[in-house]
This record gives sequence, C-alpha cells and structure tokens, in this order.
Amino acid sequence: MSTAALKDLIRNPTVAELELVARYAALKEDPRRERLFEAFAQTGLPGRRIEGWRWTDFKAAVTSLDVPKTAPARDPLAREGVATLRFTPAGYAPPAALPAGLRLLAKEDVQAMGGAEDAPLGALAAALSGGRTPGTLLVDVSAGVPVHLHMVFEGPGAINAARIVFLLRPGADLHVSESHLGGAAFSTALIEFTLNNGARLNRTVYQIGGAGEAQAVTAIIEQDAGAESVQTTLAFGGKIARLETRLVHRETGSKATLNAAYLAGAGLQADITTHVRHGAPACITRQLTKGAVLNGGRGVFQGKFHVPRTSGQQTDASMQHNALLLEEGAEVFAKPELEILADDVQCAHGNTSGALDAAQLFYLRQRGIPLTQARAMLTEAFIAQALESAGDLEEALRAEAQAWLNHAA
Amino acid sequence: MLKIENLTATVGEGEDVTTILHGLTLAIPAGEVHAIMGPNGSGKSTLSYVLTGRAGYGVTGGTATLDGADLLAMEPEARAAAGIFLSFQYPVEIPGVPVMTFVRTAMNAQRKARAEEEISAPDFIKKSREIAKMLSLDPEMLKRAVNVGFSGGEKKRLEIYQMMMLEPRFMVLDETDSGLDIDALRTVAEGVNALRSPDRGMLVITHYQRLLDYIKPDKVHVLARGRIIKTGGPELAHRLEAEGYDGVIAEAV
Repeated sequence: MSTAALKDLIRNPTVAELELVARYAALKEDPRRERLFEAFAQTGLPGRRIEGWRWTDFKAAVTSLDVPKTAPARDPLAREGVATLRFTPAGYAPPAALPAGLRLLAKEDVQAMGGAEDAPLGALAAALSGGRTPGTLLVDVSAGVPVHLHMVFEGPGAINAARIVFLLRPGADLHVSESHLGGAAFSTALIEFTLNNGARLNRTVYQIGGAGEAQAVTAIIEQDAGAESVQTTLAFGGKIARLETRLVHRETGSKATLNAAYLAGAGLQADITTHVRHGAPACITRQLTKGAVLNGGRGVFQGKFHVPRTSGQQTDASMQHNALLLEEGAEVFAKPELEILADDVQCAHGNTSGALDAAQLFYLRQRGIPLTQARAMLTEAFIAQALESAGDLEEALRAEAQAWLNHAA
Repeated sequence: MLKIENLTATVGEGEDVTTILHGLTLAIPAGEVHAIMGPNGSGKSTLSYVLTGRAGYGVTGGTATLDGADLLAMEPEARAAAGIFLSFQYPVEIPGVPVMTFVRTAMNAQRKARAEEEISAPDFIKKSREIAKMLSLDPEMLKRAVNVGFSGGEKKRLEIYQMMMLEPRFMVLDETDSGLDIDALRTVAEGVNALRSPDRGMLVITHYQRLLDYIKPDKVHVLARGRIIKTGGPELAHRLEAEGYDGVIAEAV
C-alpha cells in the first residue's frame, strides 16, 4: 500500500493516529496484517461517536505517543518458579524454562482474527504486533498437569503491542496471570483463548497505568463443550484504560465466571467491558463487577449478554455491577445490557451506584476507627467478593487494593 | 466525669431543622450509673448521638465535657478514643467485615490514638474468648460479618461484647433492653455490671423500668421535651412504671 493510501485509511486522523499508521507502515507487509489494520482504521482510535466507546474516548485521550515519564508499576503477581513471558516495546522475552504441557510458537506472520471490527483496539494490537515481538505468539496447552504461566506487559516506550493466542487442548488446565503495568504511552494487548472440550482456564488480570498512559487489554474467549473459565480482574485504570472481554459459549455445558474490581483515583479512568454470547444451550455465566471511584476518577462498566432464540435455550446467566462513589466528583457510567431472545432462560442482573453508607461509617468511627481507615475498610469489604475467584492470587490482589484504599480513600 | 450543661441541639438540615434538646443539663460522676427515661420523642436517642458525634445533629448551644475535655469539638473517633462508647439501639450491619477484625481494628486504633501499644494477637484472642463465654456468644459468630444475619438479641449481645472488649470509660446504653428476652437481658446486664467500677460512668437510656432491675442506677432522670424535668433515685423508675409519664410531666410544668 502506498504512503498516500495509508494516510487515507483513517478519516481526519489525529497526530497519534498518524503515528500508529507510520508504525504499521514500518512493519513487514502481510495481507492478514493489512486486513486487521483496516478493521482498526474503520473507526481509528475509538471515541465517543462509536457505540460502546462513548464514556471511554481513546481518540480524545491519546493525544501523543511520546514516551511517558512514569516508570512501569511494580508487579504484585510476579512469582518465583512460574514461567514468565515479558512483552515490552523493546521486544519479547520468553521464559528460561517452560512448564510441562506448554509449547510456545513465536510466528513472524500475523494470524487472522475473527470479529476484528467489533474490537478495534484488539485488531490494532494484532496489526502492530511484529518486528521485535512475534507477529503472533501461539501457546499450546495440553492436558495432564495444571499449567501455570505469568505474562507481563510493560514499558518503557511509546507503543507496546502484543498478541498471544492460546489453545487449550481437551481437558487442559491453564492458570494464567497477566500484569499490565504501564510505562508506555499506549499499550494494547490482544489475548485469545480457545478452550476445547472440558478445558479449564483460570485467568487473573492486574492492570495499572499512569495518568499519561493509555492501555487496552482485549481478550477473546471461545469455549467448547463442558469448558470452564474463571476470570478475575483488578484494574486501577490509567489516563484511559479499557479491559474488554468477549466470550462465546459455543458448545453445550460451558461455564464462565467473569469478576472484576476497579479502583479509579483522580485523573484516572478504568473501563470494564464484557460481551458474552450464549451460542449453545445450557451454558452458565456468572458476572460480578465492583468499583470504587475517587473525586476526578471515572469508572465504566458495560456488560452485555446475548442469548439467541434457538441456540441460547436453558441459559443460566447473572450480571451484577455495584459501584461506590467515594467522593463528590467521582463518576461512574454503567450500561448493563441483556439481549435475550430465547424463552427458556434464567437471566438476572443488578446495577447500583452510590456513596458509602453513613450509618456504617458512623458505627465504625464510634468504635474509634478514624474516618479514612473506616472508609478503606468498608470499601475493601465492598469490592472483596469480586476478587475471591482469583484463588491463590486473591491475597496479592487484595493487598494492592488495600494499599490503594489506605493511601487514597 | 460527664458534664452536660444547657445543651441545645437540632436534627435535620435546611428547612427540616427541628430543635430536639432544649437546654439539657446533667452531671454523671465517675463510679455512678444514671438512667434516663422518657416518652418517645423526648430526645433520648438524640442525646446519645449528640454525645458521640453522629452527622445530621447540630449543637446550637451549651457544652458537653468528659473529664473536662470538650467532647463536642472532637471527631467521633476521637471521642471513642477518649473513652465514650455507645451501645446502639439499632446496631448496624457491616457486610464483609468479620467481628474479630472489626473489634481488633477498633481497639488498636483507640490505643494508637492514646499512644498505647497495640494488643498482641494471642492476648486479643484470649480476651475475646473469655468475654464471648461470659455473654454466651458462639465463637463462630465472631468470625462472621458484623451483625449480618444476627437476631435482635444477638446484635445487642454483640454490642456488649464490643463494650467489654474496648473497656470504655463512659458508656451510653441506648435502649439496650429492646428486643431482648428475659434470659438475654440478664446476660447482657451481667456484662454491663462487670464493667461497673469507681473510675467509670454509665448512662442507661430506657423506656422501661425492667432493665433497671438488673442494672441498678444511682440516679434516674426524666427527659421530656428535650430537658431533664425530674431527677430521683431508683424509686422514680418504679413510679414511672406504675403511673406513666403524664403525671410526672404535669408536675414539672
């Protein structure tokens, strides 16, 4: 594609979008890469004019791709003895040793991505992966023993793009943790999981970004018969940060748990967006999202369950979002959406936002607990349930939430 | 110990402000237990909230001091650290916070405010066990979230458990008898009486004389329309029980 044609890809491009085009142009030509970049280019950096991005406006927030002054955050999920994949703008570092049951294949070329138009920042991650990092990193997990893997995404640098494609063979059991630690102006990761029959995925996501950083983490999860996924997210946001999960139950008896907690301080924004399609009968989804936001912070929750008329019968799904506005000037936007066309289903949802309970606060203070500590205790109790599904990593996530609350709330 | 002088206080905000306390004066020396009785709406609970600093109550005049320290100028947590404890009429549920965590956090926060050392975990557990036993509290209950799913009687016993754990210097019991059957009332009273000492004071707010059979007051005050209109000994409680408030209130006017 000529340089002129590239420039026309995005209508009225911003400076940042032109830099993204330049980054794309510098990568090796590949028809699949081109298709993915075009999918991104349809919207450009998504913003308030695009459905689903009204409250999370990357076009407005990503004004420059200069290397930020903020260093990546500390990684609370780092563990000795767990194989770790590291993705930085400088390149990709595979682990020294791989656990049994896990195979890595770093492919130079780009793999196609289904539904790229629905996830523009995921498509962008796929289109910009390559050069110093693999075009696609394939991770093959076979059945046998549980496999533990940790992935780190961090700066410093301008753009940090990564794409990882997991295949969980029938009966495989993968425990993957991800730390998205910021330090780059713009980070975007696309992580895809295919769960074959009876496979189990336990995914824990930790995200933290600076007040000048934009981050997008897009996960696509497809589940076959009897597969089960449990996802737990703790997000502190960034200048703008979106954690999006698109999950499809594509065969009967598949089960998913999608839990998240977000804590957004002043000048930071955290967006939890999920899209779950019940594309096969008798599948189960449990979703719990809890948030707490300070003055000048913004939390966004968008959850959608799509239950088609024929394939979605006997769906059992529930969605809960509860947010605390800890101070005046905190913002929370929520859009729970149930699109249920099947008639024999159980679908429940609840959505609340409000301040801490004054009677509870007074009760704690009357016992001698200072206001800031009382607020932190109540807020921690409020979000704790959403982190329980992290299992072994629950403590580490809770400690980060606690530290934030004691410091900020 | 506790001195309240000419206290006037309001409840509500904006156009809904109502004056509830109209120049209340009361002194409770160390070592004494005083009871306040009065009809609904006389200001009993307002007094307990004004003393402990609950938001939504405004002090428009007068003073309240504990051993000379100006209570009304302090944050609620500072009042607690100074030694004021309120046994709530309606104890609040705190989902997600286990009783033991809550009480230990409170105890250590108070100790920190008083520049004392924190209690060690073994000492805390030992003390908790002893007090739970005395109050016939199931130890399993102390691992559950504060007041969540507790019966009315259990909530009141948990208030007394907290009181005995925190060992306050001045206790306000706001209708602790409401919702208690006679056995629970006796247990609760035993706990309260165990805390009676020459350096502690207590204010017992109640509708009924019954509680005062178990927690014997040194003085009984009648609160009506936001002021103390009559003070007497324990016999006054019996008279109120027999005759009702109308006679006493009519006499005072």
